[in-house]
Amino acid sequence: MKSLVLSGVVATLLVFSGCSSKDPVVDAQTQEVEAPAAQEVKAVETETVSSESSVISSGTDSLSMSDIEKQLTSVYFDFDKFNINADMQDKILNGATVANSAASAYSVKLEGNCDEWGSDEYNFALGLKRANAVKKALVAEGVDASRVAMVSYGESNPVCSDKTKDCWAQNRRVDFKLLP
Amino acid sequence: MKLFLSLLMLWSLSYAEDATIEVIKRVDSLPSIAVEDSSISYDNTFKMRFFKSIVADLNVISIFNVDRHYRETHFNDTNVIVNNKDMSYVLRYKMFEDDNGALNVGIKLLKENETVLSKNYKVGRQDIYMFVSHAIAYDINEFMGEPSVAWMKRKVIFSRIIAPKKSEIVIADYTLTYQHTIINGGFNVFPKWASRAQNSFYYTALDAKVPTLKHVDIKTATVTTVISSDGMMICSDVSDDGKTLLLTMAKNGQPDVYSYKVDSKKYVRETKYNGIDVNAQFMSKDRMVFISNRLGYPNVFAKRLGSSEVEQMIYYGKSNSACSAHGEYIVYKARESSNAFSTNTFNLHLISTKTDFIRRLTATGVNEFPRFSKDGDAIIFIKNYMAQSSIGIIRLKHNKNYLFPLKYGRVQSMDW
Repeated sequence: MKSLVLSGVVATLLVFSGCSSKDPVVDAQTQEVEAPAAQEVKAVETETVSSESSVISSGTDSLSMSDIEKQLTSVYFDFDKFNINADMQDKILNGATVANSAASAYSVKLEGNCDEWGSDEYNFALGLKRANAVKKALVAEGVDASRVAMVSYGESNPVCSDKTKDCWAQNRRVDFKLLP
Repeated sequence: MKLFLSLLMLWSLSYAEDATIEVIKRVDSLPSIAVEDSSISYDNTFKMRFFKSIVADLNVISIFNVDRHYRETHFNDTNVIVNNKDMSYVLRYKMFEDDNGALNVGIKLLKENETVLSKNYKVGRQDIYMFVSHAIAYDINEFMGEPSVAWMKRKVIFSRIIAPKKSEIVIADYTLTYQHTIINGGFNVFPKWASRAQNSFYYTALDAKVPTLKHVDIKTATVTTVISSDGMMICSDVSDDGKTLLLTMAKNGQPDVYSYKVDSKKYVRETKYNGIDVNAQFMSKDRMVFISNRLGYPNVFAKRLGSSEVEQMIYYGKSNSACSAHGEYIVYKARESSNAFSTNTFNLHLISTKTDFIRRLTATGVNEFPRFSKDGDAIIFIKNYMAQSSIGIIRLKHNKNYLFPLKYGRVQSMDW
């Protein structure tokens, strides 16, 4: 009798667990369909390189400025964050040193960028907060605030357009540009 | 049981007009319609193109079951083609080119072989035929006494990213079949119609030293500088009378919402939170919704212009980073997966501020930038899914979504 009751209970449990698992299974399937998304942006990548190289070679006057610019390396950020990580501190120090020595005749433009998740204003604001975090850090290291301009490009200025986590990480960044 | 049933009916009736409730069973009861071509001029390719456009528009008005067979007949035949004799309605049209090269279209709507509506249309050029097609669908919808689809005749303006830091601003019809690039070269984003008449617009130029808002008068092709701000400068919304703008500016690197008077050029800082406040949209003349991360994640809030009191509008989702409002309804974009390492899904949801219902409007991909039509009948949005960027239209009352894919590039933002 006992075993009959038990097996009855087991049977009901099985039935119920069968029911409840239905929805999540469907969800998982839709997620899988989404995974191999988008290759569209790939074509754009080649243009990134060409446009950047063309900028550098365009004016002979700006060569020295672009040489200094190369010494300024981008600062990278975590997903959905705009605080500067400890491992990026060296880049900030280097940026402040260059800005106050070799680049002291120029203004610094900080360009905030985001990964591809969203083209809305919030993403632009996130890029700006990243640029602002770098500006504050530069000012703390002695760079004159009036020499630093900021702009956010949201997701519209990717350096990498593959659908990988490494690629997205490369796009969550602040670039240094020099203005005459 | 009877009491319970009648209570249930009463409850459902009381919500009958709520757009957050899905309409599910209507398709079977829709009247049928077939389309007959009686065109004299033009080659078969163009005839087919126009036919497809008419069929697509009739589908979008969502009040017919549209027959997709292409059939030709004479314009003045009293009877419809035999195959169409069981159709509730038959739309017959005749295209002809006049001496000036203009496209003329005459239409007849037939019901049981009787003409119930007839009209003539004319446009100067053959390549803008889609606007005639939209106008025909609009007029048939009006004739059938359905809620207006005036948005069909409106133009969509959008920015398309073609390479990093390179974009163009394009004016199109709502299906993106007609596209005219109005601003070429440079890095220009966030276009926004400046008036209901759609003869001027604002956009953000990112090429200048600081982001700058510009105004373009389409008729005179004059571009004027409105205002600029360090870091960020976006025109998020324009009031119905075109006199007040809601801007996102970032004085001192702090993104906040500002209201700006076009005539006096004076602005007021509307939000003062020390985080991110963006994407303000008018709910009414003196009230707005906006996106803020004041709770530690992006969400939708509302406030009265000039007042400091802020109200949270959405209590669902941990990342709601874009919104649009129309009367009591708010449509918002919710992140449905939060992952730095794989594909993410963003869906649009609709809520009513008067009830607690939430209706999910999209199912797959990255859906963003929702914008209500001026009359609130439809929502336009951007969908990025499977390597394709599209503009989508949601007919709220009909529970239908339509997608119009972009041939190249990626839609950055748009307005209609």
